[in-house]
Amino acid sequence: MAELEGKRALVTGGAQGLGKAIAALFVERGAKVMIADIDEAGAKVTADELGESVRAIRCDVTQSSDLEAAVQATVDNFGGLDIMVNNAGIEVVKPLFHQTEEEFSRLMDINVKGVFLGMRAALAALPQPGGVIVNMASLAGLGGAPLFGSYCASKAGVVQLTRVAAVEMRPTGIRINAVCPAFIATAMVDRLKPIVTEVVGVPFDDLAALKQGRIGTPEEVAEMVAFLASDDSSFCTGGAYVLDGGLQAAML
Amino acid sequence: MAGLLEGKVAIVTGAAKGIGKAIAEAYAAQGATVVVSDIDEGMAKETASRIPGASAIACDVRSEEQVKSLVDQTVAQHGGLQIMVPNAGIGRPVPLLGMDYEEWRAVTSINLDGVFLCIRYGAPAIIASGGGAIVNICSITAQAGTPLIAHYSAAKAGVMSLTQTAAVELRAQGVRVNAVLPGFIETEMVTSVKGDFERMLGFPEGQFDQVIAMKQGRYGTTEEVAKMAVFLASDRSSFSNGSPFVLDGGCRASLL
Repeated sequence: MAELEGKRALVTGGAQGLGKAIAALFVERGAKVMIADIDEAGAKVTADELGESVRAIRCDVTQSSDLEAAVQATVDNFGGLDIMVNNAGIEVVKPLFHQTEEEFSRLMDINVKGVFLGMRAALAALPQPGGVIVNMASLAGLGGAPLFGSYCASKAGVVQLTRVAAVEMRPTGIRINAVCPAFIATAMVDRLKPIVTEVVGVPFDDLAALKQGRIGTPEEVAEMVAFLASDDSSFCTGGAYVLDGGLQAAML
Repeated sequence: MAGLLEGKVAIVTGAAKGIGKAIAEAYAAQGATVVVSDIDEGMAKETASRIPGASAIACDVRSEEQVKSLVDQTVAQHGGLQIMVPNAGIGRPVPLLGMDYEEWRAVTSINLDGVFLCIRYGAPAIIASGGGAIVNICSITAQAGTPLIAHYSAAKAGVMSLTQTAAVELRAQGVRVNAVLPGFIETEMVTSVKGDFERMLGFPEGQFDQVIAMKQGRYGTTEEVAKMAVFLASDRSSFSNGSPFVLDGGCRASLL
């Protein structure tokens, strides 16, 4: 199940965190992976660590030319592109009206426009039918959360872009889905822990345990991405798939 | 590669045919020991006989005694239970204002009460076996109004709600509960009522298929539903709990 033998994938934001876990699992399942990251050095270190079937390229997802170059590099290195994972994203964690216009714009540029540009660049190379796009949204794209105002808005934007792109591209046989994780053990969550703890007044780990049982792992997110990237999910398109330990299901 | 469900014991209700049968086959292919349960004992036996390692147990999911007995027999025969798939369900088009209470109960007693009973008696056995997963077979009709199947849609919405509550209540005891929400799948249940839908909605013949093509591209297959059910029963979905897993070719993604 979910084998990705012979598939060629491009993962933005793949140097660390969720993107790195996705790249690692894809390799384990038989795929070749191009890691595209704004941190070029980090991308290269990760690519070296993951072995011969992984390459790295610098990519700023706010620049269409960077994404087009990343797609081209994937095609040049591996002979094609089958799976595009738009994973790169940033967070701003502070009360909504303390966020600056610059912070808001930059976050939207990376998290929303970056996904739009990533999908557009990939569509030029993805096979029809058979190409797959997986966009990294968030549970924050399906519900509001204090301190995550612009982040929630951006991830809701990713969910909606996914829906529209999926329906518009359906006749081509390209499938497009979104993944919506809750809090996962990544550097991003490590950064926001003290802020949430201070503002909410409850230790972050206690809050996470109460709401989602525990903090999820990047490997668990990668499994969901791998499922959506594989032919096992052939009737899934335009979906937003949640992994949150039960957070969204609970009223209290 | 080892199967994803190696060493697990699974009950699939309504497994003699259709989606349930496909799930039973896929689970067995992934190494699970499958109990094919169905109200039709003859067909359950027939289906089980074609699946390696599977056995059949007849069960009317409307009966508390029979569901209890299904779980008890499974545990007695196989030493435990890790996966429960309440899949048994029926559906047929009836206009809301022509629907009598008997018709309403005929559908809701199987599609909703039956799922409650499977969770109520399946979950303790799963907990006693060290944890596992419940995969409820729901429907995208749980999420939007669907003409002529008020009873079916309401029951499926109920199943989604049960999924959420069960997920939260059972989390600490190691039971994950998720729901599969298929769109229209090529099964006897769907193909046998196409003509009725067309007549009752005043559609010309063949329009049902056109609506499906427009909304979800094509019909899904039972195998596609089964692959989602495998993912949700396996450790690969270990952080998903209480969520809807839609497979509908994009139907729900579009307002139009």
